[in-house]
Amino acid sequence: MDEAAGLQVVTLVSVGRHPVTGRARRAPLDARAVELGLRIPGARQVLLHAGDPGAEALREYLGMGVETMHVVRCGPRDDVLPALRAPLRTLRPSLILTGMRAEGAEDSGMVPYLIAQSLGWPIVAQVADVAIGRDGKATVVQALPRGRRREFEVTLPCVLAAGMGAPAPRPSAYARAWRGRMAEASVAPVADARCEGWQESLARPRGKRLRAPRGGSAAARQRAATVVVASGGAVLQPGSPQEAARAILEYLRRAGVR
Amino acid sequence: MRAPRPARLRRDPRGERVLQPRPDGRVRVLRGEAATAAGSPIVAGVTAATAPAVPVRTIEQPAYLVLVVPDAIDGRLSAQDRDLIGLGRAMADADGGAVCVATFTAPLEDLGTAGADRLVDLASAGDAPERRAAMLQACVAREHPRHVLFPESDWGGGDLGRRLAALSGSPIATSAWRADLATAARRAGGGTREVSMATPLILVVEPDVGEAVTGERYEARIVDAPGAPDLAPRVVDRGLRPYDPQSVALEEAEFILAAGNGVSDWAAFHALASALGASEGGSRVVVDAGALPRHRQVGATGAITTARCYVALGISGAPQHLQGVSACEHVIAVNVDPNCDMMKRATLAVIADAQAVMHALLVLCRDKGG
Repeated sequence: MDEAAGLQVVTLVSVGRHPVTGRARRAPLDARAVELGLRIPGARQVLLHAGDPGAEALREYLGMGVETMHVVRCGPRDDVLPALRAPLRTLRPSLILTGMRAEGAEDSGMVPYLIAQSLGWPIVAQVADVAIGRDGKATVVQALPRGRRREFEVTLPCVLAAGMGAPAPRPSAYARAWRGRMAEASVAPVADARCEGWQESLARPRGKRLRAPRGGSAAARQRAATVVVASGGAVLQPGSPQEAARAILEYLRRAGVR
Repeated sequence: MRAPRPARLRRDPRGERVLQPRPDGRVRVLRGEAATAAGSPIVAGVTAATAPAVPVRTIEQPAYLVLVVPDAIDGRLSAQDRDLIGLGRAMADADGGAVCVATFTAPLEDLGTAGADRLVDLASAGDAPERRAAMLQACVAREHPRHVLFPESDWGGGDLGRRLAALSGSPIATSAWRADLATAARRAGGGTREVSMATPLILVVEPDVGEAVTGERYEARIVDAPGAPDLAPRVVDRGLRPYDPQSVALEEAEFILAAGNGVSDWAAFHALASALGASEGGSRVVVDAGALPRHRQVGATGAITTARCYVALGISGAPQHLQGVSACEHVIAVNVDPNCDMMKRATLAVIADAQAVMHALLVLCRDKGG
C-alpha cells in the first residue's frame, strides 16, 4: 500500500462554531476532510489555516494525528485567498482537501472553488471517499442525495471538497493536540473586496413556511388542511393475488423505480 | 305504538339539474323543464367540464432575462426547483423581464406551467460539471441575464453556481434565503449573522424561498443554445455506483417497501424488499412488536420520508403514519379494508390480502430475475 508514498496532502481547515453552545470547535466538514486525508496510506499531511493563530479549537485537528499545521495570520475582514496562496506555493501539494464550507466566517463555500480556479486545478465537490492509484490518478466517490454515489477519476493535482458523506472524523486526542506543531506565518493583509457594501445584522430565526391550500371555497380549504382527502388514485379489486402483483409491478415500472 | 310510516320515494334535487358551462368560465344551472329541454346529460365533474383552458402568457420583448438553472433530476422538477422558478418569476415580473430556464437533461414535465417564458437546452454540455459551467458562462455572455438562479442542493445546483462564479469572477450570494431585484439576504457566521447586499449576478437559493407558480401558463419558447464548449473534462465520470438500499436512511430513501399489521411472513417481506431493491420501512405497530428495528419506523415518531414511491403492505394509515408519507409522490396501498385512510391516500389502492400479494410479487420478481 505505498501508491501514495510521498504524496503531499494539504488540508484547509477552519474554526467551527457549535450551533447550540456557540463554543469554538473543529468544523465538522473540515474534520471529515482531515479524516479523508489520514486514510490515504503513506501520504504526508499538512494542515493549513488562515485566521487567528491563537484559536485553541485548531489544536483539535492536530489531535486527530497530523503533526504540523501552518497558520497564516488573517483578520476577520481580510481576504483568505491571498493568505492561503502563499503557503500553497511553498508546500507544493499534489492534493488539496477541504470541507464543503467553513463555519463561523462568511460561510459561502466559495474558497475551494476559488482556490481551484486560481491554481487551474480540477475540483470535485461532495467527496465521500478517495483512493490514490499508482498512475497518479485518484478515484473519487461523490455522495449524492438518496444514497447515490458517483465515481470519478481525476488526475492529480486536484482539489477535493469533503461533504457529509465522507467518513466520520476520528476523535481528537488531547496530548497529541498539544504536541502538534503550529507554524505561524503572515502575509500582507488584503481587505476582502467581495464584502464591500454588505450590511450585517444579528440573524433572527427564520419562520417555517406553511403551504396553504389555494383556491376553492373556505370549506374546501379547511377540508384539505384537516381531512384525509381521497387522492383520486386508481382503486383495484383484483381477482387473484397474481393479478394484483402484475398491476403493482406495472405501476412501479411506469413510476420509474423499477 | 305507532304503525311504521310507509316507505317514501326519496328524490334527489341535485340529481335533476343540468350544469351548462358558459364561455366566461362560470356554470349555468338548469333545473326542472329547462333541464329536460337542454337535453344534455348531467355533467358529473363540474371542474373538468367547465375549467377554461388556461391562456398562455407570452412576453415578446422582455426588458431583461432571469436565468434559472434547476436541478431537474432525471428530467423531473423537485419542489425546490418549482419554488426557484417561482422566485425567478417574481423577479422577472417586478420590472417587465422574462424567465429563461436552462436544462441539461430533456425535461419530462411542462416547464410552461412551472413559469418559464424561454427554454434553453444545454444538453450538449454533457454530464461533466466543468463543461456545464463553461456552457452556462457562454450562455450568460450571450443572453446577459440580470440574475442567474441556482438551487442550494446537494444534487449539483450549488456546485454549478459556485463553479460559474469562480470561472467568470462574478459576484455571488450563496445560501440566499431572501432575494428580489434590489437586495438579497444570506446567513453567515454559522447562522448567527444576517448579511444583506445588493442582489449579485449569481444567486444560490435555499429551499422554501419563492413560491411555485400555480394556475398559470407561460410560453416556454425554445431559444437556441450556444455551441458546446471546446473543453475536455479533467474529471472523468465513471457513473453511478450500485448501492445497498438498506444502508440509506429512511428519510433519504427513494423507494420504500413498508409493512404494517397485515404482514406476518417477515422472511418473505425481507426477500421482496431485496428483490425490488427497496428500503424497508414499517408502521409503529410492527416496530413496537419487534419485527423491524426502530430506525425503520415511518411516521410522526419515526422517519418523515421523501420517497418517490412508497408501497404500504397491510397498513391502515393512522394519521401519524400518513404524516410520514405526505411528501411521497407515488403511494401504493395493499389492504383488505377499502375504506381505510391509507387506501384513500394511495395513488394505487389494491383491495387484497397483503400476505398473498407479497408472495405473488416475490414469485413474479424471481421469474423475471431468473
